[in-house]
Amino acid sequence: MSVRIRVDRDLCTGHALCHLHGPDVYILDDLGYNATDQQEMPPDLWEQARKGALACPEGAILVVETGPDEVGSAESSAG
Amino acid sequence: MEADPGRRVRQPVIDFDHYRQRSLSESDGAWQRVRGQCPVAWTEANGGHWVVAGYQEVALAFKDWETFSSARTNPEFSSLTVGNLRIAPLYPEELDPPEWQPLRRILNELLSPAAVRRLQPRIEHWVTHYIDQVIESGHSEMAADIACPIPAAVALELLGFPQSDWERISNAFHGTASLDRKTPAFAQAVDDLDWVSLRVREELAKRRRAYEDDALSFIASHEVDGQPIAPGDAEALVLLVVGGGVDTTTALASAALVHLSRHPELRAALANEPGILDSGTEEFLRMYPPARTHARTAARDTELGGCLIAKGDRVLLSEVSACHDERAFADADRFIVDRFPNRHAAFGLGIHRCPGSHLARAQFKEIMRQVLRRMPDYVVDVEQIAEYPNWSSIGGWARIPATFTPGSRLL
Repeated sequence: MSVRIRVDRDLCTGHALCHLHGPDVYILDDLGYNATDQQEMPPDLWEQARKGALACPEGAILVVETGPDEVGSAESSAG
Repeated sequence: MEADPGRRVRQPVIDFDHYRQRSLSESDGAWQRVRGQCPVAWTEANGGHWVVAGYQEVALAFKDWETFSSARTNPEFSSLTVGNLRIAPLYPEELDPPEWQPLRRILNELLSPAAVRRLQPRIEHWVTHYIDQVIESGHSEMAADIACPIPAAVALELLGFPQSDWERISNAFHGTASLDRKTPAFAQAVDDLDWVSLRVREELAKRRRAYEDDALSFIASHEVDGQPIAPGDAEALVLLVVGGGVDTTTALASAALVHLSRHPELRAALANEPGILDSGTEEFLRMYPPARTHARTAARDTELGGCLIAKGDRVLLSEVSACHDERAFADADRFIVDRFPNRHAAFGLGIHRCPGSHLARAQFKEIMRQVLRRMPDYVVDVEQIAEYPNWSSIGGWARIPATFTPGSRLL
């Protein structure tokens, strides 16, 4: 299984809550917007990736989980 | 489907005027009733406007800036509230893209998470300083001694206003939010807002002549599209930083201080487990959003929550109602210190998300940390506390008399 994140930069408005809940996954640029590149990450960061996406009030982060055991995706959504 | 102005049917219609909300319980109760009836409705109050109360509908409107415009298309249309309001414009809050973008960038540079981390020592200094003023006496009026002056000192020092101006600037904004509209003190605070505008113009002019190491100089010397920033734009931007900076964090801190006085188990939890302050801060924001409503103007015919909104209609978006919406938050009326996720709308959503949110969080947390450490047993005199007299826009406590075991100064 692999976990990737996709950030919609047009939706990010810089709440920085992804970084609060996933400091090792989500990188902010100088102005405070999500600058995380799409990347595959080790299993010990999956929880941070999911929490950061769930925390986003703009629904700007998509966590894509794929693999032999599990196929699915979890999207942060506002409401 | 286009709304025909000649046959326009605005419904459902409710009897609702948010200016009638004279207390926290009146305000929260009124918004709960509106949500229970309909997420979007029309009221004839304040010249007639839509009321948007559901989380989903508030979020959609905030995010769709092209339809729900913040611009001052009419000089009396402010995004702060509905109804006629003759106040100076606040930029970039009251601009749409593309004009919004370069001015927003200035604020993001000044108030980014990284910039706020650099300000942390000054935040700690001012929190320590103001608690020092009362710590030996064992009593404090926590609104006037702590909640009010600290955010003002941090924001006005960052901007570069002389310290002799801080109290009057702070009182002008705090007074218009926290004083009864029928009192001479309120009239004085309103008059002082003009004086604040004057001082902003004077200080910006000074910075244009000679650069100083402060945010006023950073703003005055900024270029927009290759040209020096227009003086009027710089003034509107500074007024937003001052107005947004001096009384909103104040309102949040006042609400938390009162809340903790009523919930000793929560106070003990925050004191014993500092790690829950982060999520606790978000929950204080959700329960007591300092800016409770904002306004927009429909830039075109649209539909929201099943209602047909016509171009030009005024729209009141309720952050507080969104934050308390039972459809968006489980046990919405309960304070859950580790609530997750907590996608509250206290800082607004979309492109106008409060640019000072990172500074607000940092100041609020430092105030809580020091109060819980230095005056952990504070007891509020519940007979003497006073709420803001109106909870339409900004809501908080104007007076919080308290006693505690005296301690020592640190500075």
